[in-house]
Amino acid sequence: MSDTRGALELEFKNHLIKYLNLLEVKPEDINNEEPLFGGDLGLDSIDSVELIVLLDREYGIKIKNPTDGRQILVNVNTIVDYIEANRTK
Amino acid sequence: MFVKDLYAISPQSTFNLTFEAGEVLEIVADRYLSHEPNYLEFIPAGQLRRMGKAVRMGIGAGLPLIQRNEPLDGIIIGSANGGLEDCIKFLNQIVDYEEGVLTPTNFVQSTPNALAGQLAILSTNSGYNCTHTNGSLAFENALIDTQLQLSQSADSTAFLVGAVEEISEYNYNIDTHAGRYKGEATSNSSLLSSKTDGTICGEGATTFVLTNNSTDAYAEIVDVTQITCPTKEELTEMIHVFLQENNLNTEDIDTIVLGNNGDGRLDFWYNDVVTPLFPTAQTLHYKQFVGNYRTVSAFGLYFTVQHMRRLIANTSQKRPKNALIYNHFDGVRHGFILVKNSAES
Repeated sequence: MSDTRGALELEFKNHLIKYLNLLEVKPEDINNEEPLFGGDLGLDSIDSVELIVLLDREYGIKIKNPTDGRQILVNVNTIVDYIEANRTK
Repeated sequence: MFVKDLYAISPQSTFNLTFEAGEVLEIVADRYLSHEPNYLEFIPAGQLRRMGKAVRMGIGAGLPLIQRNEPLDGIIIGSANGGLEDCIKFLNQIVDYEEGVLTPTNFVQSTPNALAGQLAILSTNSGYNCTHTNGSLAFENALIDTQLQLSQSADSTAFLVGAVEEISEYNYNIDTHAGRYKGEATSNSSLLSSKTDGTICGEGATTFVLTNNSTDAYAEIVDVTQITCPTKEELTEMIHVFLQENNLNTEDIDTIVLGNNGDGRLDFWYNDVVTPLFPTAQTLHYKQFVGNYRTVSAFGLYFTVQHMRRLIANTSQKRPKNALIYNHFDGVRHGFILVKNSAES
């Protein structure tokens, strides 16, 4: 894993904790392969909207197609992959 | 209607009754913030993380009472501002992000009825659910609503009734500019003797189980009334009429519970208008413990009932039999709650 990739993952996890107000969760507690929905984090449909807002505000990424969202918002790795490929800021 | 149970989260340690045991917290601050319990003991973490302070305190004060007194027939809340901090966050986002994509959580959490709704969801209570937002008379209106609901029911009926208010940076700044607060750190032990302008703001959530069944009740709320923008003469007249309607006169009131808040401009309503009407009554004050906020009369009721239960330690006050709780906000909106000690009935 490159330093750049690692830094982006950490940055995204910090945004995730801040936007979703995940009490008592630290970035190192979040496994990159762990499913965000239905896993230990216990995220729900409102959180998926918060994630879409996060991607828009922090990385300039707009997810308009719900089908795309289901494939992107799986875990940290899938989201960071998408950020690397599509970020506009 | 009768008070069967009660709970408070306030700037004092009321949630675990150490305040009642005589441990009054000395607070020196420009605002008196709530002393909160560990909510994770009874609110799922996944739901707690979305709650703003008003909702969090309200759930924290309401859920234990619902669980102790199930089944309840409904939830009635009074809140002047609801989750104002979240409301302002949401409005600021509209500006900051140029009306772009907005997060739903701040909006969902900020509406005044978010508390009553979430209490209903968490307790699966599908009964009557209503939130009153009539400014500084919101709690009095919640009580009047409860009174009407209970009067329509012949069967034993019980409601969770409460009030909640949070200090947000927004309302603190606005109210400070409006001259409502002293704007300097003030000790709660000297608040009531202060002669300067303004008061100290507080916050909290206070809840009651109110029922039409007198069995095991702590106290009876005999009647509630309110008046807006009265003259001194109109207020005096209204008090006499209010007592007469309940077959009482001023001599029957042995305790007046007043909302003095250390604002040198406005405490005359308590000291010069109401107190002289009750020369034989003892006087209780409560805002030195929790500060001032728009639905603080709910804490006044809590304090009165705890006195009636003899739960307040280190007090030389007599146990109240008939108490009149009087509070006003800005000298504009005035509310009265008449309470009778059930043990003295």
